Amino acid sequence: MSPFFFGTSERRIFGVYEPATSGTSGKRAAVFCYPWGAEYIYAHRTIRQLAVKLSTAGFHTLRFDFFGTGDSAGDLTDADLAGWENDVESAIEEIRDISGVSQVTLIGMRLGATIAASVAAKYPRTVDRLILWDPIVSGEEYLRQFDVIPQKLLNTRHCLSTDSKSSYEIQGFPLTMNMMRGFHSIDLGAWISPPSTRTLMLLTEPLPFHERFFPILAGRDPGSLEIETIAATRPWLESSASAGGTPVDVILRIVNWLG
Amino acid sequence: MNQKINEQAVLLGKRQSLVGILTRAVAPASRNGPAVVILNTGVIHRVGHHRMYVTMARALARAGRIVLRFDFSGIGDSDARTDALPLVDSCLADIKEALDWLEREHQVSQIILIGLCSGADHAVLYGHTDARIVALVLMDPTIPATRRFYLHYIARRLTRLHNWTNLLAGRSRLLNEWAKQLILVVRPGLRSRQITLQDLQFHTCLEQSYQNTVDRRIQILAILSEETTRQTYSGQILDAFPNVQFRDQLTTEFFPCSDHLFTLEADRAKLIPLILRWIDASSSMFRAEQPYNPQNGNLAAE
Repeated sequence: MSPFFFGTSERRIFGVYEPATSGTSGKRAAVFCYPWGAEYIYAHRTIRQLAVKLSTAGFHTLRFDFFGTGDSAGDLTDADLAGWENDVESAIEEIRDISGVSQVTLIGMRLGATIAASVAAKYPRTVDRLILWDPIVSGEEYLRQFDVIPQKLLNTRHCLSTDSKSSYEIQGFPLTMNMMRGFHSIDLGAWISPPSTRTLMLLTEPLPFHERFFPILAGRDPGSLEIETIAATRPWLESSASAGGTPVDVILRIVNWLG
Repeated sequence: MNQKINEQAVLLGKRQSLVGILTRAVAPASRNGPAVVILNTGVIHRVGHHRMYVTMARALARAGRIVLRFDFSGIGDSDARTDALPLVDSCLADIKEALDWLEREHQVSQIILIGLCSGADHAVLYGHTDARIVALVLMDPTIPATRRFYLHYIARRLTRLHNWTNLLAGRSRLLNEWAKQLILVVRPGLRSRQITLQDLQFHTCLEQSYQNTVDRRIQILAILSEETTRQTYSGQILDAFPNVQFRDQLTTEFFPCSDHLFTLEADRAKLIPLILRWIDASSSMFRAEQPYNPQNGNLAAE
């Protein structure tokens, strides 16, 4: 395990590299994308456990904190989705440099999955596989979960053009108008089309907007996208009953699927 | 002072298995002063709830301090220990390894421990055992309930509308808890065999630790939030440990309306400067440096 900073001096990104430790050829690599806000805090250990498991399965792995989050430089008020996509690209380059592997698997949870999907669509030759663990499918629905944001604001796209540094606070994390605009624009159906990368979408909580999402995927090659529902605890949620627990079934499914 | 800072990822501990971030000013320290070590809260990794410890570490480093925040074994990015130590012992052993690393790599001889909740309890349990510790910053440490606590608590619940609506709807946690206790009195065979902190005489252990802490001339800042089920008034720590002679070594700060995790940015905007100010103001009271001798155990001066 090697914790380190990568990126530029203006945008130092914290990451942890785990080398492939199994007897395999070690010619595969995976980059992990965390969720946002409080979900990141609670899901951190699960992502770490998944990375360790994959490293023993022959993957070089790199998990990293987006700029302005976790141990990375910057403040959340200076971050935006476009910058986070660049962070994923930097992480891909980093793991390729470290491991010598040319193709990389992207694994994301919640918002991290959605960002990973967007990057994968841009780099179909580099990203060989994509795992989306309960991705954010609709930005509007995502924002509605944060019921501190007035509905009027969410319903009026015009209002979202107003620029302001830090307008809302979600579970202790600042949400700028700029970031809210970014979240609002999320449309996973559009972002992961056309099909390019073999993708596994794991859903522990089927939601109404998933129903709307499935028809969008109907035209895709069924071989390129698999959607599975797994009954499992959601590690990104605070729960006294499952504090520190890890959804082993999901982790094993991911390892097996990548097998 | 508002210095430019640098953050460095480090592996420390006997097995190089503890992951930490060292934050410090880019320019060499312009003054000698204690380093700061921030401890995990529960199972949350070194970043802390709401990234609170990152903000805190950067603010302290800009003020010239060396700051280490690291993950206990089995938390965050750190590997689990392999020596089968019980949980609390494992955390205390990790703190010692982190301090040894700081002293060896950065020539630090005086250290302030900062912790919230379980992190505060670990700081109390560890602080008095190590001669390098000069101060503790305790955010919502475990404070046993007192008579005045119950009066405040019940009065608060009685004056809040949602408690009454919960009661009428059968969702009252207090009532449910009392009902469970009543059942256990009537049918003691149902009592769980699980060991609790009370069984371990945690109150006595804490009291002794606090007494040892003041005996070792360690300064304490206790920051208490109101919106918890732990304490309801500023002086509860004094009432809960009446046998401890805190003298002038304890400063308490009460955050009315703040929750246990200081979730609101506005609360943290007050909390972090408060800690910085207290450390600066208390520096003259920090015990003089003592030579640390790892060969003879932690307290070399004794």
